[in-house]
Amino acid sequence: MRRRSFVQLALLACVIAGAATAVAVAIPWLPVSAAKERDRIDVVYWLATGIAIMIFSIVVAAILFSVVRFRAHPDDDSDGPPIHGHTKLEIVWTAIPAGLVTAIAIVSAIVLHDNGIASGKDPLRVAVTAEQFTWSFRYLNGEAKGVVSPDLYLQVHRPVRLEITSKDVVHSFWVPEFGQKQDAVPGQVNPLVITPTKVTGLGRSYPIICTELCGLGHALMRRAAYVLTPAQFASWARTARGQAAPAPSPAPPSSSGGASAAGARVFAASGCSSCHTFTPAKATGTVGPDLDKLPAEARRAGQQLEPFVRESIVNPNAYVEPGFPKGVMPANFGTTLSKHDLDALVQYLVQGSKRAGT
Amino acid sequence: MTSIAVEHEHTVAGQAPPPRGLRRLIAAGYLRCLWTIPLMFGVGAGIMSLVRWLEGWHPVWDGTIVTTISLVTIPLGFLGGIGGFDYWLGYALGQPTKPDDHSGHGARSWRDYFRVNTDHKVIGLQYICTTFAFFIVGGLMALVFRAELAKPGMQIVDTQTFNGLVSVHATLMIFLFVIPVFAGIGNYVIPLMLGAPDMAFPRLNALSYWLLPIAGIMFAASLIVPGGPFATGWTSYAPLASHQPLGQVFFNMGVQWAGASSIMTALNFLVTIITMRAPGMTFWRMPLLVWANFTTSLLVVLATPFIAGSQFFVMFDRVMHTHFFDPAGGGYVLGYQHIFWFYSHPAVYIMMLPGFGIVSEVISTFSRKPIFGYRLMAFSLVAILILGFSVWAHHMFVAGMAPWLRVPMMVTTLLIAVPTGIKVFSWLATLWEGRIRFTTPMLFALGFVANFLIGGLSGVYLGSVPIDIHASDTYFIVAHIHYVLFGGSVMTIFAGLYYWFPKMTGRMYDERLGKIHFWSTLVFFNATFFPMHWLGLQGMPRRVADYEQRFGDLNMFITICSFFLGASALLFLYNMVTSWVRGPVAEANPWRAHSLEWQVSSPPPIFNFPAIPTVVGGPYEYGVEGARHAIMAEEGAGVYEEAPAEVPH
Repeated sequence: MRRRSFVQLALLACVIAGAATAVAVAIPWLPVSAAKERDRIDVVYWLATGIAIMIFSIVVAAILFSVVRFRAHPDDDSDGPPIHGHTKLEIVWTAIPAGLVTAIAIVSAIVLHDNGIASGKDPLRVAVTAEQFTWSFRYLNGEAKGVVSPDLYLQVHRPVRLEITSKDVVHSFWVPEFGQKQDAVPGQVNPLVITPTKVTGLGRSYPIICTELCGLGHALMRRAAYVLTPAQFASWARTARGQAAPAPSPAPPSSSGGASAAGARVFAASGCSSCHTFTPAKATGTVGPDLDKLPAEARRAGQQLEPFVRESIVNPNAYVEPGFPKGVMPANFGTTLSKHDLDALVQYLVQGSKRAGT
Repeated sequence: MTSIAVEHEHTVAGQAPPPRGLRRLIAAGYLRCLWTIPLMFGVGAGIMSLVRWLEGWHPVWDGTIVTTISLVTIPLGFLGGIGGFDYWLGYALGQPTKPDDHSGHGARSWRDYFRVNTDHKVIGLQYICTTFAFFIVGGLMALVFRAELAKPGMQIVDTQTFNGLVSVHATLMIFLFVIPVFAGIGNYVIPLMLGAPDMAFPRLNALSYWLLPIAGIMFAASLIVPGGPFATGWTSYAPLASHQPLGQVFFNMGVQWAGASSIMTALNFLVTIITMRAPGMTFWRMPLLVWANFTTSLLVVLATPFIAGSQFFVMFDRVMHTHFFDPAGGGYVLGYQHIFWFYSHPAVYIMMLPGFGIVSEVISTFSRKPIFGYRLMAFSLVAILILGFSVWAHHMFVAGMAPWLRVPMMVTTLLIAVPTGIKVFSWLATLWEGRIRFTTPMLFALGFVANFLIGGLSGVYLGSVPIDIHASDTYFIVAHIHYVLFGGSVMTIFAGLYYWFPKMTGRMYDERLGKIHFWSTLVFFNATFFPMHWLGLQGMPRRVADYEQRFGDLNMFITICSFFLGASALLFLYNMVTSWVRGPVAEANPWRAHSLEWQVSSPPPIFNFPAIPTVVGGPYEYGVEGARHAIMAEEGAGVYEEAPAEVPH
């Protein structure tokens, strides 16, 4: 009778394991992998999943079986058999889980080690700086050396070592498709290695997500990661270096074309488009006020357009458009932008919004 | 062992007539608070202004500093007013103390539940009712932000309020519900289980309860502070927390009051369990709930001072311009996380071990079988206690701490699954060949095992560093902690309250409603939280007010299920309230359980036992011919007289 119970229990466990496996396999639990490091993480993930399904099915089968089989009749007042323990069984269910978690620990330690090494030729080095609520990526070597970009451009199969820090509070860098994540901590530099394996081109990208609560704009602190072919990367690097080259002399403010190009560059580099709509820059963010409507907003604030735009960049909480929360816009552009860049940005916004508004 | 109990007679003295007229302003009570609170506020604010004036600082009256100081002085005024310190103050002032004064002991009317009372049963119920009030408040907050999350974009609240609701929800649920409700259940049950007339330090017990509403009101009040509530999550990481609006101080200080309450209760439990066991109640005859509270109390006493420290440092950085966590001033940002998690990881076990104890009681009683592997069950609690102190940095795998720490912390984290697994397997073996009765507490205990299993297994994923690197700070974490704390702890709390309801109130709850409550909780809990695993792995970070369009449908589903989950809690409250008022009268021992609390009337007499019983065997000897756990004094004449022989001369 006892043996039959155990056979039935084992069969039940197999059925549950089958169902759990179906749930684990049929639903795409993980996003597409686009990095060597993610592939390795997936190996540990599937190992843990196998073990989890095994334990889950045994325990749930035992509960269900007991519930059905050992249910007492309503007027059965008897007690069960006084079994106080079973030393061998207790050793078994101490030793087997200990063995299983040790296996996970060993595989995890190997993967962790491998995922920390930028193997392969000519790895890129990029300094990553987080601040409320955007990222900047400064290329430390290779074709793009010296480039500072608000988005991350990588070359397929070329490992990159990110050196991550923060200007203000703790942030965290995560790209789900790459699997790798690292907090950005003020006062220290944390490394993170990524070896992308799938080309996105410039039309598509993976999201860079801040995962550590960093203040009001936390949910919006997102940028893009592009993975390019070697040719695309070289071409991007050339263009970006051309733009990053310091202006040889103060740009003549009268040349509206030059100011507008400079303003567009500052607009892109400061990450404005992640929150704002602005037609001249093809920006469509809806988090902050619509910059196409700046003239109307200036009227509501009771100010002239140009001083209003300047004040809203430098001291964003002085006037907050109704319907938008205070304190989301970074308040430090006054210190991070040079006088020249700020002027260019203001001109770009003033002229662009006048055109877009009409 | 019984020396404390026999020092004096426990008689219920007649109460002194209530004071009249102006004397009511002097006698302990809420009226006295009318002047003690302003007095203490004035003393604090006065010293502050004097110092600032002498130093020549302007303004002399600084609102932020006054508020910070008042979060200490106003609660002290309140505690003094209601009489929390009267006995000790009287002693310090040289008034004669009366060890046999039981005027504030035991409840004679419902009013006594709103006064300082030294009876552990009254205090237990005060704890349970207060914590459920905060459970409702915290739950409603969750429903508000779930409504906000139903659709991408912002609809109902702004970002500051959203972050605040998330933070206050977690803080109330952790510090004002799960931790103290276990203290409440323990307070009621443990002295009874030990055969003791009360806790070791009844006045300290009363004081530790009254610190709790102070902490809770402080957390909730932060919602109406100018600038908004603390909005940095319950983890409140520096340096973000150092530069937040004033509401942050309410978190820093609320944690101090809740923490002090925890520490005092834990000390009380430890001393009670070590010194107040009835004759014959050896450690190996204690019910597992007592073991669980013993290990929990050790965790509380050793770990809680760390969170107190971490919050003081953050507050000092803010108010006194120190640089504990400010890198510009030489501070160490990760230092906050190390100190915080050195408490807050053990806190997870503080919130789980008492639940393990409850489930052991319930499963053994309703399977009509001894608990399987009793000693290994107790040892695994101790193993969790010890390992629990060596795993804190698994919350920091992506934080940028010393790289060599990651693998050792992973190994200890994964190893803690072993004693936890032992407990689960032993519960299953207890069920095996039992005579299982599906009462509501038993259903909740079984539901707990299943849910906690999922939470434990997702914990194994997170214990593995590479998987954690992908999943940390995402909705996978939100799913995991709710499987552990809701599917785990809250289910055991429900199990425990249904189980001891007849003992606490003297009445039976409605079994049919209880079962509906169980099934609706089980279904909607899983429907709410299981999909969050997928959201997290796919790329939805936690603590975001807004999210990608593609997660919209699933979030809508989760929100709907969370509202049903909230409704199921209403069923519980309805059942508890109506059954307490007019449920059928309960027998002394409706479950035919063996442990001591069931051998006295329901509810028990004010001093629990007419005379101290003698323990003669284990607490779970179901099915053993002629086995007894204890002999009650009235049936074993002379037992009580033998006991004092153990007292050393």
